[in-house]
Amino acid sequence: MSTTTTKTEVTLADLTRMLRESAGEEEGVDLDGDVLDTPFIDLGYDSLALLQVIGQIQREYGIAIPDDAVVDAETPGALLDLINSGQASPA
Amino acid sequence: MPLTEHTAVVRRLTVSTKGAPAGEAGRGEPVTATAAAVSAVLRAFGRSPEDLPARTAVFVGAARTAAGLGAEHEGFPVHTASSPGRALRRAHRELLAKNVDLALVAGFGEPRAEAVTVHAVRRAAEAVADGDSVLGVLDVSGEAPGTPDTFDDFDDTPVVRPLRHGGRSTDPGGVRLLLWSGRDEADEARVRGELRPMVDRLFPEAFPVLPTAVPCGQEPGPVRAAVVTTADRAAPAVDGAKAAVTGRPRPVALLFPGQGSQHTAMAAGLYGREPVFTAAMDAVLDLFGEDGEDVRADWLADGATRTPKIGIDDVRRAQPLLFAVDYALGRTVLGWGVRPTAFLGHSAGELVAAVFTGVVSLPDAVGMMRERVRYAVEIPPGGMLAVGSSEEELRPYLRGDVAIAAVNAGRQTMLAGSRAPLDEVGAALRADGHTVVAVPATSPFHCPAMAPASEAVERAYRGVRLRPPALPLYSGYTGGPLSPEDALRPDFWARQLTDTVYFRPALDELLAADDMLLIEAGPRQTLTAFARRHQAVRLKASAVVPMLPARPGGPGEDRRSVLTAAARLWEEGHGLDLDAVSRLWNWSADAPPAPETPAPGTPVAEASAPDGRFGGRRPLTAV
Repeated sequence: MSTTTTKTEVTLADLTRMLRESAGEEEGVDLDGDVLDTPFIDLGYDSLALLQVIGQIQREYGIAIPDDAVVDAETPGALLDLINSGQASPA
Repeated sequence: MPLTEHTAVVRRLTVSTKGAPAGEAGRGEPVTATAAAVSAVLRAFGRSPEDLPARTAVFVGAARTAAGLGAEHEGFPVHTASSPGRALRRAHRELLAKNVDLALVAGFGEPRAEAVTVHAVRRAAEAVADGDSVLGVLDVSGEAPGTPDTFDDFDDTPVVRPLRHGGRSTDPGGVRLLLWSGRDEADEARVRGELRPMVDRLFPEAFPVLPTAVPCGQEPGPVRAAVVTTADRAAPAVDGAKAAVTGRPRPVALLFPGQGSQHTAMAAGLYGREPVFTAAMDAVLDLFGEDGEDVRADWLADGATRTPKIGIDDVRRAQPLLFAVDYALGRTVLGWGVRPTAFLGHSAGELVAAVFTGVVSLPDAVGMMRERVRYAVEIPPGGMLAVGSSEEELRPYLRGDVAIAAVNAGRQTMLAGSRAPLDEVGAALRADGHTVVAVPATSPFHCPAMAPASEAVERAYRGVRLRPPALPLYSGYTGGPLSPEDALRPDFWARQLTDTVYFRPALDELLAADDMLLIEAGPRQTLTAFARRHQAVRLKASAVVPMLPARPGGPGEDRRSVLTAAARLWEEGHGLDLDAVSRLWNWSADAPPAPETPAPGTPVAEASAPDGRFGGRRPLTAV
């Protein structure tokens, strides 16, 4: 898997926006309050919904995120860390 | 001896025929078994015969049988034996052979010449699983093993012994539930203040024996709090717990997941550690016959010392085990005294909902599941895909036998089909930027490829006794409440193999009817995630509670997760059977029951029920 390093910092606000968008208009998730450490599953994101968000981040920011991020990142906070800490390096 | 080798007496009634017309029962002469008497036996427990389980049989034990009494009466088989003891033994055998689901055994001349004693007997595991009263189990020891005819050689009446099902066993390091409540917020704070020193620097051995709810022995108040914790973390957990002011508790609906939610050793942490769950799993696996043994062995195979012979994603494991686990979790919730008002199952989960709503009996549902698996394995392998897009977006991509298998959420749709066309569709979707994940399934459920299986099971389903739902069942196949007409159609149930699952519309209907507390009775949190994206749940009008972890977490996590679900019911304001809930930290199937005291989770066995009454808490086969 190729990796494009990027200087773009993805913020919680960006991630929250994409989480909202991927969930769709008429249905969505409750993202008010402190979601940084709330497990994705508690926000209504199963692995498919999360993959969808990750796909969107990759397209929008031109970065590559390994597929197993879905398994590793249980919370928005963990996903942001993974994205912003140079996800290319193996954990 | 495992529960599945026992039959349980669930009702007993002795009728004296004194005062009957003279000559009918002569002095000292045992009463004669007549057709009229069998009619009375069928109605002995206050239910009309049409409400009895489909496979109910009457076993007559009488020294004298009237000539007019045949092998069938009012549509029920009648077996006659020459003594009450022989009739009971025969009933025991027929129940364990699964030829009969409920035996009404009429002992004429028992215990006195002019009396008739009627026993209602069923398989013990099923009785324990659905919370039926168990007066005791039939002890047929003394009966020689061997040919089916040997029961005729033993005339003595089997003794009814107390049911033994595990016993008390506590783990000082394990998790438990602490519940407390107050009349108002100040009272809750006072109760919490009393609880606090009890859990602070407590000997771990004493932790499991604290009462389940504080104040103990009082009606719980409307301000509720709960923690699920271990001894060493109890004090800060109690300090940090948030109290909830309850009003009218939202009614409970059970959700049962289907194929795709299974995982290795799912819910195995409850097996042998929760009596109702354990009895329900054993009851279902026993009804699967010989296959059931293999299914259980593969389910409990740890992967290290023993590897499953057939993988969990195979239809022969995923479907029976999901059915069993969903059913056993649902029974566990009912065992806590919670009465759900609606049921919704996804795909194969709808068959579990059919059992809880009285559409089919458990033995018939297991039979239907066996047929389903039997014919599904003959279908050429295929698969299922979950796609993060709407049904409308996916329609243009369908080709070959690939079809919309399930509409789960606004932007989660499942596709199914034979391997080659499904791979093509998956590739085309990925190329266009859709998010596609393979669902763990080896059979292409809910698409035309299953048509031969659907036709085959329909023939088998025609022999199944179907009834209108006694409680609301929201169907994924009609997208709304199941009508009595649909419930009675064998083809409605058979076509579930090929038809699309409209889970989201069914959930819409369910949440439109009332604000609900949804409980997902199954592994993973698939349906929980769908429900969390539903507007009614986002707006907090309704809520959803999973019973098991989102990802496999081992036996301890299974128990913690189920206790957390119980805590949520408490915080909602529901009443809980506190003894039943406490079994999760103080019961083990391996523990010997204390002498002189009945095993936890089982009602006290009675020597005999008073004449003319039956001692059941609830009607036979109560939901």
